[in-house]
Amino acid sequence: MAKRVAFAQLSSCWGCDQALVDLHFRLLDVLPDLEVVYWPAVVDYKLSDLKSLPDGSVHLGFVEGSCRTKEDVHILELMREKSRLLVAWGSCSCYGGVQGLANTWPLAQLVQRKFIKTETVTDSRVPEENVPGFVEYIIPNTDRVRFDIILPGCPPTSDNVYDAVVALLTGRPFDLPDTTVCDECPRERKEKRIKEFKRTYQGRPDPEKCLLDQGYLCLGFATIGFCGAQCPKANMPCKGCFGPPPSIRDHGAKIISALGAIADMSPEELENAFPDPVGSFYFTDYAASYIAKVSAGNSGDKGDGEDRR
Amino acid sequence: MSDERVIRIEPVTRLEGHGALTIRLGKDGKVKDVQFNVTSTRFFEKFLEGRFAEEVPRIAERICGICPVPHHLASVKAVEAAWGVTPPDAAVKVRRLLINAKQLSSHGLHFFALAAPDFLAGPFADPAKRNVVQIIKSLPDVGKLALQMMEYGQSLVGAIGGKAVHPVTAVPGGLSQPFSEDSRDRFLEQVEGLKQWVIQTLDLGKRVIEDYWDAVTKLAVVPTYYVGTHDKGALEIYDGKIRVMSPEGKIVADFRPKEYRKYVGEYVPDHSYATHVYYGPAGYPDGVWRANTLARCNIADRMKTPLAQEALEEMRSRLGRPIHATFAYHWARVIEMVQAVEEIEHLLNDPDIVSTDIKLSDVEPRKGNGIGCVEAPRGTLIHHYWTDDRGIVTKVNLIVATNNNIAGIEKSLLKVARQIFEERTHESLKLPEPMIE
Amino acid sequence: MTTAAQKSSAATKRRGRASAGGFEPRIVAFCCNWCSYAGADLAGTSRMQMPPNVRIIRVNCTGRIDPAFILEALYMGADGVLISGCHPGDCHYTSGNLRMRSRYVLLRGLLEQAGIDPRRVHLQWASAAEGDVFAEGVRMMVERIRALGPSPMRGRR
Repeated sequence: MAKRVAFAQLSSCWGCDQALVDLHFRLLDVLPDLEVVYWPAVVDYKLSDLKSLPDGSVHLGFVEGSCRTKEDVHILELMREKSRLLVAWGSCSCYGGVQGLANTWPLAQLVQRKFIKTETVTDSRVPEENVPGFVEYIIPNTDRVRFDIILPGCPPTSDNVYDAVVALLTGRPFDLPDTTVCDECPRERKEKRIKEFKRTYQGRPDPEKCLLDQGYLCLGFATIGFCGAQCPKANMPCKGCFGPPPSIRDHGAKIISALGAIADMSPEELENAFPDPVGSFYFTDYAASYIAKVSAGNSGDKGDGEDRR
Repeated sequence: MSDERVIRIEPVTRLEGHGALTIRLGKDGKVKDVQFNVTSTRFFEKFLEGRFAEEVPRIAERICGICPVPHHLASVKAVEAAWGVTPPDAAVKVRRLLINAKQLSSHGLHFFALAAPDFLAGPFADPAKRNVVQIIKSLPDVGKLALQMMEYGQSLVGAIGGKAVHPVTAVPGGLSQPFSEDSRDRFLEQVEGLKQWVIQTLDLGKRVIEDYWDAVTKLAVVPTYYVGTHDKGALEIYDGKIRVMSPEGKIVADFRPKEYRKYVGEYVPDHSYATHVYYGPAGYPDGVWRANTLARCNIADRMKTPLAQEALEEMRSRLGRPIHATFAYHWARVIEMVQAVEEIEHLLNDPDIVSTDIKLSDVEPRKGNGIGCVEAPRGTLIHHYWTDDRGIVTKVNLIVATNNNIAGIEKSLLKVARQIFEERTHESLKLPEPMIE
Repeated sequence: MTTAAQKSSAATKRRGRASAGGFEPRIVAFCCNWCSYAGADLAGTSRMQMPPNVRIIRVNCTGRIDPAFILEALYMGADGVLISGCHPGDCHYTSGNLRMRSRYVLLRGLLEQAGIDPRRVHLQWASAAEGDVFAEGVRMMVERIRALGPSPMRGRR
């Protein structure tokens, strides 16, 4: 019998949907086993249809995106009520996503920049009619409701999605690997002593050698080995978009720890090399970090009015 | 006499993004107001501040997972403009191949998964039948066509960009890796087949338009301004000048992207988190414009490639220029798919496409600002960044492609709502038998 | 929706209450076994006066302190974290303290960008013979945190 599935999109880019569609002909393997009961990107069921389903009647619920609006929070809670197994689909859902980077500013400043103080805006107001309103900070979905399955990635690869869906449909366990991108990376590694960090516009990295050895901030060592090392294979450093492996509790802390061990630089040089630690060490998972949780919800030590930079 | 009524459609489905529709009907049954409510935004304009500019092409593309390539490229072009960097020619060619691959897969996705269900299953079908999953089940040939084209486009994006969704290879000064000869050969091998598929898609598109001719020519025919990019009059998506056409079909502006602030206005409605981008000199709402496929086909004198040009001529012979029929967007979409395929073929046959001279090694950041513009599948996309002398972003302005269309969509919806609730036009339309039962 | 002004006045009130009720900072100190923990011991056996606000956690070397320990301590509600290790050049393991110093520099940048006053985390050097240096470091840390007020986490977990 086909399993009832629901896909819900909170604030996000819809790249997870694209990765699912990118299964292409492999979709034909799984589609017959799925009865879609909610999936606004593809099927015309409305929110009222989702609401009218009995609680717990959806076998598999997939939640993409994170809660930026009050409507997102509402849909997330609804998906939890309706779903037997709830899947955090993609890094937004697992960790808050790239939009978590906005957490270093109070909401008032974000709204100001978007709707009031904008280069090409000819008049300005904050929209309020028939729109849901924002939440103050991005809080990871996993801190708001209980999830049964975590499927990180920005987006999870088509293979990741396929493996997860097949496992869930057949009732097999689905566990994340406790390995890193380095375990999947074909580049040759050496003992690291870094005297200077390079930025990606600088030089032409050797495609055979470890990017970190060459001085590029490649975060493979602290990032879950789940993506097939796509970026290092394209001669670009890993930015950590899949988040850390399960045994690492704070992605940025792990990165800082490793940099402390391998950087052969003075404190001033090191400080100078990383003027944007939040953006550099927590690409898609800042909202899930300890420090964001300490800071969020009360504007940290500086009060709401000031810019924190 | 009935009371005032509010119809709320929530969410608007088969849409990439977050939207709802609010229709207000008066006591007399007349449509008072239609709102297209975009219900989410994530504040990229703010949180890109403070980042290394060369990293922004990998961050800003998270605005859209369906069309990350145009964001990736507009972003890297903005950084290059700010720093005064010109990437090697071969890198530009590979970037063009990348954006055309995305154009193909995105248009394919839109045509087959978002639009086609209305036409193949019919507008009154059960939601359970009116979707791409059902198309794949009931019309396997159409399903196969869709999957083949999308697979080709997405695999090509992945081969160039490292990732099919959120590619990573564009850096200020070029690309991180060359396009390999193996990849070139693999995609070239399938290109003849691809051309056949896209012609089949064009035929399907034309057949659907023909079947729904009554709806195409009567429903949602909405004159607006149009905006799009061209290169010496030919429809262009990677780099060119921006043209604006008036509702009467006159070219009223033709400017370089770096002058955009003179021509582009953003109106903030009270009921949408997406701004309404419009033709500034005409004011709001008179200057409401539309972008995307039909707009480009309106502003361009011609297509870049021969088969696409034939297809454009055929559309114009039926519907004229400019075309205001909203449903003709689908026709224009398949015409652009034809151009994308011909461009892909042309670029794959260019020996430079596998050149290893694809990255400068002497790029230096500098204080300044730069504007990067490309055509995303859904319209003219502008990234504008200010950086400090270390190459850190200090300010950002974004004209996101979709926002060019929001006011136009609302205008179309108002028109259709009047046609349905006041004139009951839909009852007299000649519609074909659905292909999916 | 809470406005920025409301929130910031709530924060002021909360801090006001805490200081009116006599805010006593809770500080976690990570001390290396070979220098600073011995220094702390010496301060104790020498009966030097130290404020009682510090909970000491002994580690073999400051190089063993994962930055996650420090961030987690703040998350658990510590008002400040003091790290005390051997002077540069004196590390029992050659360079663990220098690694800590590198991590500390990056951590401070992170705290600042996140809107947490970086003075909540402090790194000092105190050898086994410097009981007085250790005690003075503790006194200064307590004063620093007293001036900054309670952790933003207080009352939230």
